[in-house]
Amino acid sequence: MIPYLLRRLLLAFVTLWLAASLVFAFALLLPGDPVQAILGLEASPEARAALERALGLDKPPGVRYLDWLLGLLRLDLGESLRYGKPVAELLGERLPLSLFLVLLGLGGALLLALPLALLAVRFPLWDLALSGLMAFLQSLPTFFLGVVLLYLFAVHLPLLPASGFPGWQSPGEALRHLLLPALTLALARAAVLFRMARGSLLEVLSQDYIRTARAKGVPEAWVLLKHALRPASLPLVTVLGLEGGFLLTGAVVVEAVFALPGLGSLALTALEARDYPLLQGLVLAMAALIVLFNLLVDLLYSLLDPRVEYA
Amino acid sequence: MKRGIFGVLLVFGMALAQGAGPSRGGELRVAVLAEPPVLDPTASTSQEIARMLYDNVLQGLVKLNEKGEIVPALAERWQGSPSSLTWTFYLRKGVRFHDGSPFTAEDVVFKFNRARDPRSGHTHPEYYQDIQRVEAKDPYTVVFHLRQPNQDFLFNLARPDSVIGPKGRVEEQKTQPIGTGPFRFVAWERGVGVRLERFLGYYEAGLPYLDRVYFRFLPDPNAQLAALRAGDIHVIGLGVSPETALVLQRDPNFKVVTGFTTTEITAGMNNGRPPFNDVRVRRAIQHAVDKKALVEGVMLGFGTPIGSHRSPGESCYVDLSGFYPYDPTRARALLQEAGYGPGNPLRFTFTLAAPYPYERRLGEAIAAQLAQIGVQARLEVVEWATWLSRVFRGADYQMTIIGHSEPNDIGIYANPNYYFRYASPRFRELYARYLRTPDPQRACETMKEMQRVLAQDAVNLWVMNAPYLAAMRKEVMGWWSNQPTPSLNVTRVYLAR
Repeated sequence: MIPYLLRRLLLAFVTLWLAASLVFAFALLLPGDPVQAILGLEASPEARAALERALGLDKPPGVRYLDWLLGLLRLDLGESLRYGKPVAELLGERLPLSLFLVLLGLGGALLLALPLALLAVRFPLWDLALSGLMAFLQSLPTFFLGVVLLYLFAVHLPLLPASGFPGWQSPGEALRHLLLPALTLALARAAVLFRMARGSLLEVLSQDYIRTARAKGVPEAWVLLKHALRPASLPLVTVLGLEGGFLLTGAVVVEAVFALPGLGSLALTALEARDYPLLQGLVLAMAALIVLFNLLVDLLYSLLDPRVEYA
Repeated sequence: MKRGIFGVLLVFGMALAQGAGPSRGGELRVAVLAEPPVLDPTASTSQEIARMLYDNVLQGLVKLNEKGEIVPALAERWQGSPSSLTWTFYLRKGVRFHDGSPFTAEDVVFKFNRARDPRSGHTHPEYYQDIQRVEAKDPYTVVFHLRQPNQDFLFNLARPDSVIGPKGRVEEQKTQPIGTGPFRFVAWERGVGVRLERFLGYYEAGLPYLDRVYFRFLPDPNAQLAALRAGDIHVIGLGVSPETALVLQRDPNFKVVTGFTTTEITAGMNNGRPPFNDVRVRRAIQHAVDKKALVEGVMLGFGTPIGSHRSPGESCYVDLSGFYPYDPTRARALLQEAGYGPGNPLRFTFTLAAPYPYERRLGEAIAAQLAQIGVQARLEVVEWATWLSRVFRGADYQMTIIGHSEPNDIGIYANPNYYFRYASPRFRELYARYLRTPDPQRACETMKEMQRVLAQDAVNLWVMNAPYLAAMRKEVMGWWSNQPTPSLNVTRVYLAR
């Protein structure tokens, strides 16, 4: 187990370095530059040169790359060009919200998808209706679903706030502001999880040991919960891990609809402003989280399936 | 006895004022589209900064009012010498910055010495390049010595770039702006919004009316509308779509405020490259496009057709929207003259910028109108960064369409390297004359002549002055209906009870 973890850790570092270097290279290829984004279209060449010097952009890319790598070794992600603040500080401000939103959203999706998948597998009549509903949910674009929920729960039945985030000072208020965005994520993602769980359950149910269990006279509900659910949840965990990593920055649309200051909108801003250090920092953080999620998923496998071994 | 009558009148007047006048207090929540990089208009040209802070928090010597007129701000009055080479500004006395320090001539001198230094990082140093020296005569008198007369000098002093902060304070202004306006900056919640609070030491008695203002960054138009309907915000400060405006106009709880902007939506033509290096082709395009139909069809009636690069709300404007009447027959004849016809149709690429949906739609509608006289415009949509590098910087295009939002920006036609590639010695001569004429009346005549020259040369197809469209709850009063400069001015805004 320990050598396995060490190997994974080493691999993680290489992955991170590769991801970061790729972003650095791609940023160089993008048209547009941060100075223009700050000074506007009509800025004079003198003003541009002065700002470039101030931001350290007059140095050759190779030197900037090395500077940045050296900073990383000191755990220094550099300073955002647009905000003039340390990248680590900006990430620290935004990460809790995104993480919480994703946990809430995926948790909700799982809570919705699993029981429904069990129902669908148990009762073939329900299956058609539920599969139809989930296909419908999956085909709804998030921005549309978000706006519909917004009108339903914030405008017509004013139960929840429409948008924005009040900060973590009052956790209750913060949660209230995150409920609608989390519900949007949950509904959109539940469809994927439902299909995955249903397919996986059906496959497991066709196995010999299930037939044996049924032949023994085990009640059908017990067959499902005790014998089928655990082996069927392996692919589900994989999907959850991938989705979690993706949603941290991939929830841009939900963040935009509900005006939430999360990592997704920060990434979008960084890209638009050509804020290279922030973009690199974000990709690095994302890559780190995805690596971490994947590791957790791999470790979970052994809990779910004793046959999985780490060597 | 006289005093008695006066007293009665005074009491009566006060009662009347209380009944009908603006009510005081409350918090106003306003949606803005995007978060700016910093909060100092002298450090970044992002218009979002000026929208939230111009005049509300940060002020200059003079400012633009709702109608676009230059009015006193920190200078009570001013005087230009007959040669227009020296300008004396008499500062308002007893003005304090939000940090409590007094505003004096020293702050003005510091500001403009920084502004005219191209290495200081100040935005648009070219606005101030004619300033040779700024001098503090006494704590409340400042004298500007110019190298040469500059007709735009006062206008430039009214721009958001010309706001004045406390002397020596530059870096901090980017995140903690301190000014002299009716509202004091309280907090910038990253990714969420900017909070302002009434400044008790403001120099105009009785203003402002609101206690607090909260500008919220709401990038998504649907989210803005939902937040307005849910009562989360009072005002959508700008960029309401014509479709939404029509819906909200019919709703008794809301109102739509509309007026002029300084944005000329311009179908730019590359004058340095075929086919638009031929003035006959450019004129044919003017005759072939029905601007009224574009305003009605694409903008649902919001917007004003224009015929040159100036907006109806700006000074010395001439209405040239009818200079080339809509006349497809005439357009066909002009094309024929230039060698195009059914056997050899005019073909070109029309480059549209992705982030601007209404300009894009206008471009599509223009292409459809041109198709009616047999012109084949191939539409091409490009990302903003690509548009900037290819069209704006490289002038590697044939026709494009974009809104030019800078106020008073007709001078771009005097630059032959600007992306229109319009090289006219006559226009350059006129522009120089306009700038160097001390007499405003005569300069105004030249400005009108400049607009006519552009129309005669049919440099671009100027489609319309983009409308200002804001939507708000019924009780919001005193909102600016025009945007002579980017400013969501809340100085006189109040919530009616």
